[in-house]
Amino acid sequence: MEPVRSEFSRGRSTLASLRIAILQFLADPQWLIPSMIAPVVFALVSYELFRGSGPYFLTYAILGAGMMSMWGQTLYGSGWATSQDREFGTLEPTIQSPTPYLYVILGRVLWNVLSGLFGGLIVYVVIVAASGGPPALPDPLGFALLFVFVMLSLASVGVVFAAFYVYTRYAGFIQNIGEFAFYVGTGCMFPVVLLPFWTNPISLVFPPTWGLDALRYLAIPGYRGFGWGFWLDLLGALGTTLAYLAIAGSIFHRVERHVLEEGNLSQY
Amino acid sequence: MSSALAAYRTSFWRTFWRNALMAPRTSLGFMRVDFILGTVFVVPLTQMVFFAFVVQLGGGGASEIAYTALGNAVATVTYSSIFSVCQTTDSEKSQGTMEHLLVSPANRLALYFGRGLIPILISLATVAVGLVYASVLFGVSIAAASIPELAVSVVLTAFAMVGFGLLLGGVALYLRTSIILGNIFLFAGLLLSGVNFPLSQLPLPLQWAGDAFPLTWGLAAIRAAVSGEPLSSLLVLWGAVALSAILAFSAAIGLWTVFERRALATGSIARF
Repeated sequence: MEPVRSEFSRGRSTLASLRIAILQFLADPQWLIPSMIAPVVFALVSYELFRGSGPYFLTYAILGAGMMSMWGQTLYGSGWATSQDREFGTLEPTIQSPTPYLYVILGRVLWNVLSGLFGGLIVYVVIVAASGGPPALPDPLGFALLFVFVMLSLASVGVVFAAFYVYTRYAGFIQNIGEFAFYVGTGCMFPVVLLPFWTNPISLVFPPTWGLDALRYLAIPGYRGFGWGFWLDLLGALGTTLAYLAIAGSIFHRVERHVLEEGNLSQY
Repeated sequence: MSSALAAYRTSFWRTFWRNALMAPRTSLGFMRVDFILGTVFVVPLTQMVFFAFVVQLGGGGASEIAYTALGNAVATVTYSSIFSVCQTTDSEKSQGTMEHLLVSPANRLALYFGRGLIPILISLATVAVGLVYASVLFGVSIAAASIPELAVSVVLTAFAMVGFGLLLGGVALYLRTSIILGNIFLFAGLLLSGVNFPLSQLPLPLQWAGDAFPLTWGLAAIRAAVSGEPLSSLLVLWGAVALSAILAFSAAIGLWTVFERRALATGSIARF
């Protein structure tokens, strides 16, 4: 009997997970709304606060709000994936299955990235409508590509969170309480260099900090972010994203082994 | 027969205290100690820091930052008063206790007021901690002489906001989920209640919408108390906050009564 190739099984699991995520979204698409309300309101508030401060402040508001929306979809969604399994009672069977749990999460993350982009687009349209016109972008194509990459970097943080949440029932608590801290720490709406210097190393641990700084260098002429400039920002974003993905893979592997050995997954 | 039924009917205060003490473990069960501590100590700080930096980036000076910090110190009350209270309906539905609640003979006024007690206390704590942050970290000047007026304004605001949360919970009784409603009103105040900039900067229809929120009046009263305005001005604002609280609680009771009747008639309200 020819053994089944594990790669095929993993790929199929990811596709099945992606399909389920899409079906769940289509069954109840209203869940896109909660993650968009806060960003739209924050963008409108920021737009009002930035009014008269210069032509490029609309970019700050849109970029920050778009990132918040995608934080909602991508990081929340990816991080929440484990809690959802726990709530549905599917966490134990899923972890017991031969496919590594990471590949199941991956399917959900892929959908979260797509719906995050969709959410970001809606926020963009609302803010542009409110402000009366789109912001001036020197390099729209480069901006769009980098934007998608920053989304993926957010997803990498979400995957690490998802692995961590296997151990805890405080996923909702961490995300709700940490929401503003993440916005501040990663400089969603303002450059991180405005924060006290001692906080900068903490901010640099997160991939979106690098990505957002790079995006602003690309979109805002005369922007003063980290002194090392656009290309090192890009390199930093890439490096931290890869590090997060590696950490996520390692954590998932250890978490799976641990809960299978201990048999205490339900005790949380 | 009626005397036999009366024997099973608990007193107003018993129902009130039972709900006040039990709600944090049942319908408000998600409000654990860690969540409450985070809401009281972490959320106000991070929210104030966030908007203070946004103001700074927009070229605002110390007075603008202080204005925004004070506004957000008060606005964080919405997490415990609106979002949490609003979600009690969802909790009842998902825990399968809604049907039992709807057929119980408990005094509804005592029941809803009792449930609001802990959120009111948490709201008070949240605003108090937020005001301390505003004073210590963001340069908001709070004179000792203004503390009594400030305390009255904060207490009235907390009551009004919890009333508004109960009102939304009443609306949510008829909805599939209260999350969307909760999210809308959790953040709408940041835009429409004069939290980050004066209401006069908004278009007139949005100013009218803002006037419908208890937060707008509560925040105006707190700002007036902090700036040491005369008692006559404060009395008008306190009256407005108290009126919004009475309207919110009354509307909440009215909504629950209507939907309860509908639930008993159709037997379908607890489905979601």
